[in-house]
Amino acid sequence: MSALIPRSDEELYRLMKKGNQDAFAQLYARRVPALRRYALHTSGSPAIAEEVAHEVFLQLMSPNSRYDEAKGSLESFLYGIARNLVRVVRRQGPVEEAVDRAFEHDILGELISNEATAALHQTLRELPERYRDVVVLCDLEERSYEDVARLIGRPVGTVRSRLHRARALLSAKLKRLNAPVEVYSR
Amino acid sequence: MTCAERIGELVECARGRGSLGRELSAHLPGCAACAERFQAERELSQQLRTIQARGVALMAEDTRREVLMRDFADLHRRRPARPWVFAFGGATALFAAILVGNVAGRHAARHAPVPALRVKAPRTTQVVTYEASTDASELSSDDFTAVPYTPPLAPGELVRVVHADLYPEALASMGIDINPAWGDEIPTEVVVGEDGIPRAVRIIGPQGGTQSDDF
Repeated sequence: MSALIPRSDEELYRLMKKGNQDAFAQLYARRVPALRRYALHTSGSPAIAEEVAHEVFLQLMSPNSRYDEAKGSLESFLYGIARNLVRVVRRQGPVEEAVDRAFEHDILGELISNEATAALHQTLRELPERYRDVVVLCDLEERSYEDVARLIGRPVGTVRSRLHRARALLSAKLKRLNAPVEVYSR
Repeated sequence: MTCAERIGELVECARGRGSLGRELSAHLPGCAACAERFQAERELSQQLRTIQARGVALMAEDTRREVLMRDFADLHRRRPARPWVFAFGGATALFAAILVGNVAGRHAARHAPVPALRVKAPRTTQVVTYEASTDASELSSDDFTAVPYTPPLAPGELVRVVHADLYPEALASMGIDINPAWGDEIPTEVVVGEDGIPRAVRIIGPQGGTQSDDF
C-alpha cells in the first residue's frame, strides 16, 4: 500500500543517498524532462540541454552533493544547478547547435518552423536571465506563479511583473519582425 | 480603471489563464491601444506554444538515462558500508591529537619565555659558564637572589651568567625589591640554565650594594 503513496522529492533524495536506485530512478523520471526543456530553452542547444540535465543528476548523486533540505526544495536546488551550468555554457560563447538548426532535420520542425518562431526563440534566449527564466517556467513549462516563485526564490508579485515585462519585450520584438519593410523610391 | 491597470488582466487572458470580463470586453472595442496589446499578447502566446511543442518533441528521447543509472549503481557498489573505517579513523585522530599536544607541551616548556624577563639590551656579549653543583634554590647568596617558581637544575647542568639591563618590573617579578629611584634600566647578572630559564639574579653597579640599605 505504501508503494502507492507518491514520495516527495526530499524523501526520494534521502533514500537515494542510502543507495536506493529505485528512488534515484523515480526522482530522475519526475524531474529530468522539465530540466532538459528548461536547459534547451535557455541554452538553445539540445546537446547542451542533454549535458546539463545529466550533469545536474551527476552532481546530485555525488557524495559531495550540497543539498540541504532546510534551505529549500530539492526541485529548486536542481533548477539552481541547471541555471548555473547554462550560465557557464553561455559565458563560454555562442552556442553552435541551435534548436532551430537541429529542427532542420526534423519533420515536425520543418512543418512548424517559420521565421517568426525562430526569431522569437532567439529573442527569448537573448533576454536577461531574470526575464528568460520566468517565460520558460511560466509560459513554456506552464508552471504557476507560486511554483516559479518557490523555484527562483522570489515573491509571487515579482514573478508576475517580470513575466509581463518579458512578454512586452518579446511582443515588441515580434512586432518589429512583422512590420512591413519600407521601400524608398525616388 | 485605467488602460495601464487593465494590461495585467489582458496578459493573463492572452495566456489562457482567464476570460475577458464584462468590463474589459466592453473596453476593448473602444480602445485601440488595449486592443492592439491584447492582439500582440495572443500572437505571442501562440508562438510560445509552438516553441513549447518543439521543445517537448525535441527532448522526448532520453539517451543518457541508462548511463546515469549505471553510474549510480557503480558509485554505490564501490562504497560499501565500512563502519570499522570510521572507528579506526576516530581512534587515529585521537591518538594524533594526544601526541601532538604532548610534543607541543614539551616544546613550549623548553622554550618558555623567561618569566617577566624583559631585557632592554644585552649589556655585554661576555658569557661565563659554570657547572651547577646544587639546586637553584640554593643559588641564593649575599649577592644572587634565587628566582622563585623555577624548575630545579639537573645535576651537572651548565649555567651561564649573562649581563643584561633589566626593567624594574622584570626584577620585581623575580622577587627582587625595587627602589623606584633606580631608573628604567638596571644592570644585572642573571644565572641562566641550559633551558634558558633564569635561576638567580644579582644587581650590579651602585644600586646593588645599597639594595638592602634602601629598605
